[in-house]
Amino acid sequence: MSLLDTRSKDIRNLPGFGLTAGFTVAFLYAPIVFLVLYSFNDGRSISRLDGVSLRWYGQVFANEEIGGAALNSVLLAVIAATLATVMATAAALAMVRMRVRRKAAAYAVLNFPLMVPEIVTAIASLIFFSSVGLGLGFGSLVVAHTTFCIPFAYLPITARLTSMDPALETAAADLYARPWRRFALITLPLLAPGLMSGWLLAFIVSLDDFIISSMLSGPGSTTLPVHIYSMLRLGITPEVNAVSSLMVLASALVVITSGLIARKQS
Amino acid sequence: MRALAILLLTAAPAFAEGDLFIYTWGEYTPPDLVAKFEAEFGVKVHIDSYDSMETMIAKLRAGGAGYDIIVPGDATMQVLIAEDMVEKIDVYAMPNYANVDDKWREVYWDPKREYSAPWAWGSTAFAVDTAVVTGDYSSLSVLFDPDDDVKGRINMLRDMNDVINMAERYLGVPRCSENPDEMKRVLELLETQKEWVKSYDSETKELLVSGEAVVSMSWNGYAMRARDEKPSVVYVYPKEGYTGWMDNVAVPKGAPNMDNAKAWVNFVMAPENAAMITNYARYSNGIEGSEAFIEPALSAAPEINPPADAPAPEFIPTCSAEATALIDKVWTKLMN
Repeated sequence: MSLLDTRSKDIRNLPGFGLTAGFTVAFLYAPIVFLVLYSFNDGRSISRLDGVSLRWYGQVFANEEIGGAALNSVLLAVIAATLATVMATAAALAMVRMRVRRKAAAYAVLNFPLMVPEIVTAIASLIFFSSVGLGLGFGSLVVAHTTFCIPFAYLPITARLTSMDPALETAAADLYARPWRRFALITLPLLAPGLMSGWLLAFIVSLDDFIISSMLSGPGSTTLPVHIYSMLRLGITPEVNAVSSLMVLASALVVITSGLIARKQS
Repeated sequence: MRALAILLLTAAPAFAEGDLFIYTWGEYTPPDLVAKFEAEFGVKVHIDSYDSMETMIAKLRAGGAGYDIIVPGDATMQVLIAEDMVEKIDVYAMPNYANVDDKWREVYWDPKREYSAPWAWGSTAFAVDTAVVTGDYSSLSVLFDPDDDVKGRINMLRDMNDVINMAERYLGVPRCSENPDEMKRVLELLETQKEWVKSYDSETKELLVSGEAVVSMSWNGYAMRARDEKPSVVYVYPKEGYTGWMDNVAVPKGAPNMDNAKAWVNFVMAPENAAMITNYARYSNGIEGSEAFIEPALSAAPEINPPADAPAPEFIPTCSAEATALIDKVWTKLMN
């Protein structure tokens, strides 16, 4: 009886589940499948296949403008994700392990970047950076990306921290481990999966960002999404498909890694 | 303190003597042109791309953007000059200015060419598939009073100004009209036409090549690419006229590498260099003598070389607020 009960509660056994899921997945992924398919087109068209070739990928890798933009994007994402993870970890430790006054308010402030429309953050940052006399460039991008990456890094880290047994830390304290030692030997290793998936999430959010990057990039710091968007002006060739497919691949790898870590964690 | 902050936060390349920062559309600057300039002047060229004129202006307005060269379109150029956002570099006095075609010297956006040099130009008219459309197609009536076999196979650009300007030409209404009655006629024409329009879509090349559209409004560059894939596509310069656009090379106020920027402006006006732009971006340049260096397939292309009997392209400045409000109204009604 109890077996039947759990079975009927399993969402997979609801009528029409397969159909709905199939449509949803197709709706979400069919455009991407087409995008990737036409990136292998031998012709210039993005709607008619003229044979299969890797020529557009060759063109992407030979293209200095794209290469430079991709390098900027990756470098920016690594730095911003790292800074955001460090700050998010500090915030999570304070929120979960310590008594914080006005916790709800602090939580709201931490997650504010998720709620504010991105264009507002972008314009506000543009005005801010220029009014304090800090020019636009890689520096302004790092600051802005770190800011909006913090909530993305914060959520998985808090989740991990909440599920960790505080008794282990208490035991360490009982054995005279000083706070820093306790953090380095007990908390940090246990927190590692949360840190990793937080970092990866922040990395991918930074890598894909367009609006803020478009407003805040300065000389020599155009990012890949901004460059792709700019390429559209002269018409879409499969080169755009190829570079977009590579971004999809990079994102997928990161998300899968993050998922695997999360799975191991649970 | 501020200097320290900048030092700490700006990991971007330093503004050394030998740099040139170009802010332009992506894939618009030929790599061989950049390499040639770098070799000739010993300058490292950095290229950044913008996604729209608005983004570019927003950054220049915010100040301290740090770019040396921008490539604004004609209407934007006029705004930048009016708002004192570009340097007066006296392009007309530069040695290579002698190569600029007369047509591109007294232009509305920079009447004396004090601020800008031509980069590339193109036009917006329409293309027909002559395998299907066999009659006379020299007039906009192909789009607005179509034959039965064309009805339902027309594509219009999804561009408010281009569509309305075209309808205005067909009706003989002036551009940027502030007269509500005239604009009402424009709306009526477009609403009548809407019955026969398959789509309002900017991917004109795809539609023409796949045969979904047999008549389509089009930018000349797209029409040429469509012809590459489907030789029966012809780009038409309608007798009622058509819209032209020109991108220009200019120097934003406070450019950090002024000398290099001026050298670049002069450099792109040399015929062999302008030809590289055309060969790469596949749009016409405004430089006389560049024809000799352009790929034969391009120098023979009617899309970027209007025939002698074609009317001159019409360049349209930004409309007044009243006219813009009417245009918005017509477009909103049409799209609903």
